[in-house]
Amino acid sequence: MVDVSRVQKELTECNRDREVSGVSIALHDGSTISHLTGTIAGPQGTPYEGGTFVIDIRLPGGYPFEPPKMQFITKVWHPNISSQNGAICLDILKDQWSPALTLKTALLSLQALLSAPAPDDPQDAVVAQQYLRDYSTFSATARYWTEAFAKNSSTGMEEKVQKLVEMGFPEDMVRSVLKSVNGDENMALEKLCSG
Amino acid sequence: MGHVDASAAAAAARDAKKKRGNRSSAKLKQCKLDARREQWLSQVKDGKEAKASTSPTGTEPNAGSMTVPSPHPPLPRRRVDVRSKGGDPEEDREERGAARQELGSSYLDSPVHSPSSDNSGSVGGMHRKHYNNGGGLNLSSSSSVWSSSRSVSEAEDDDTGGPEEENGVLDDWEAVADADALTVDDCHSHQSSGHVAPPAAPNVCTAPANQTGRQDPIQRTKAWAPDDIFRPQSLPSISRQVSFPASIGNGWMGAAQQANLSTPLTCPICCEDLDLTDSSFCPCPCKFRLCLFCHNKILEADGRCPGCRKEYVAARLSRSCSMGPRY
Repeated sequence: MVDVSRVQKELTECNRDREVSGVSIALHDGSTISHLTGTIAGPQGTPYEGGTFVIDIRLPGGYPFEPPKMQFITKVWHPNISSQNGAICLDILKDQWSPALTLKTALLSLQALLSAPAPDDPQDAVVAQQYLRDYSTFSATARYWTEAFAKNSSTGMEEKVQKLVEMGFPEDMVRSVLKSVNGDENMALEKLCSG
Repeated sequence: MGHVDASAAAAAARDAKKKRGNRSSAKLKQCKLDARREQWLSQVKDGKEAKASTSPTGTEPNAGSMTVPSPHPPLPRRRVDVRSKGGDPEEDREERGAARQELGSSYLDSPVHSPSSDNSGSVGGMHRKHYNNGGGLNLSSSSSVWSSSRSVSEAEDDDTGGPEEENGVLDDWEAVADADALTVDDCHSHQSSGHVAPPAAPNVCTAPANQTGRQDPIQRTKAWAPDDIFRPQSLPSISRQVSFPASIGNGWMGAAQQANLSTPLTCPICCEDLDLTDSSFCPCPCKFRLCLFCHNKILEADGRCPGCRKEYVAARLSRSCSMGPRY
């Protein structure tokens, strides 16, 4: 089973200096400690600056002897993060994990990954190609994605709701769908249409 | 008694400030102090009689203190004489010899458990240890586990010995040992007379006038009574253990040493407290420490040190012997 006392200690430890470190962890829902939600602030001087990126964290039973499973919930345009599902390509989350690492250090590593992409070992080949061949386009796209998905999702939320309601969907359904896709207008529209 | 101690301490401090110049030379004597202490301890048992028969002229401050191979500089004896001047000097000396013998035997033979004689032994031992500290490190020891007030005053006490004779510092611990044995043996009558008597002391012991000031620190350096109001708060109550280095590890020094070695107090993997076995367990050259439980778990899985990600090869090979007692 998950080492509950260690995880609780990690949560306290990590959230103690969340203002400084820019990373924080919270329980995903109150029921289980093995499903957490992490947030990291986009590093300054990068296309991700100003964004807040949400990461889904699932702790395997062998944690901390096995690495936590992390995945971006917030859409990110990054060579090492899948633009489709948010899967992360980072060695410390795989074979280079060490029990001495913590959730906080893992999140800080993700923050560092945002600052320093490794296009030679890509998760998303399309993004990596763009990064290598046309950095300015990559940078613009990444900045746009940050603006669109990683900025405080409540700002502009009302506009999106308004837009979708005008399309003829009921407001409460629009709000719940928008929330479920983390404010992604297009995905919400897709869901509303299919659902 | 507390007030007398206070004024004596103040006088000692004033005295010490004047004579602070020779501190460095006092420091240089530390190694000799250690050697002499060893010598003294070894001769405590068999060298009593010879010492007891030493001439009272030994009260001369510089009388062969550096050249005569006797383990005991004469100064402590003079001080004790001053302290116990109420009684017959010869008789007192014999008494002290006996006390010392008792001190020595109890100190060496019955380390912890003998009730009364051991008390003197442990008290003396504590002081020796302390002088080792305060004399050697002087003011820097204020950052150690000893309280600053205590160590500073001790350092000053040591300084008072410096200017007057070469091995003044060396004398102090012996004087303390003597005084401890004496006071424990002779009850408190000598102590009280010693406290009120300093002005008359020079007449008795023919010491130079400036040495009267030195008697106060010596008297003050007798063991702290458990209820002494001047007893430093940080002074451990387990003085008995303090006198025996072998048993220090499980007392307050253990914690201090652990802090010095920056050993983690909890396992960084499971966050449980490290017990004694765990904290002495260092399976990897990278010095990454963890509890045996977590180490075992890692060995069952990928077998790499969490600190450096290198294989626990050495640990795996020597596991049977290094962890044998645990199983």
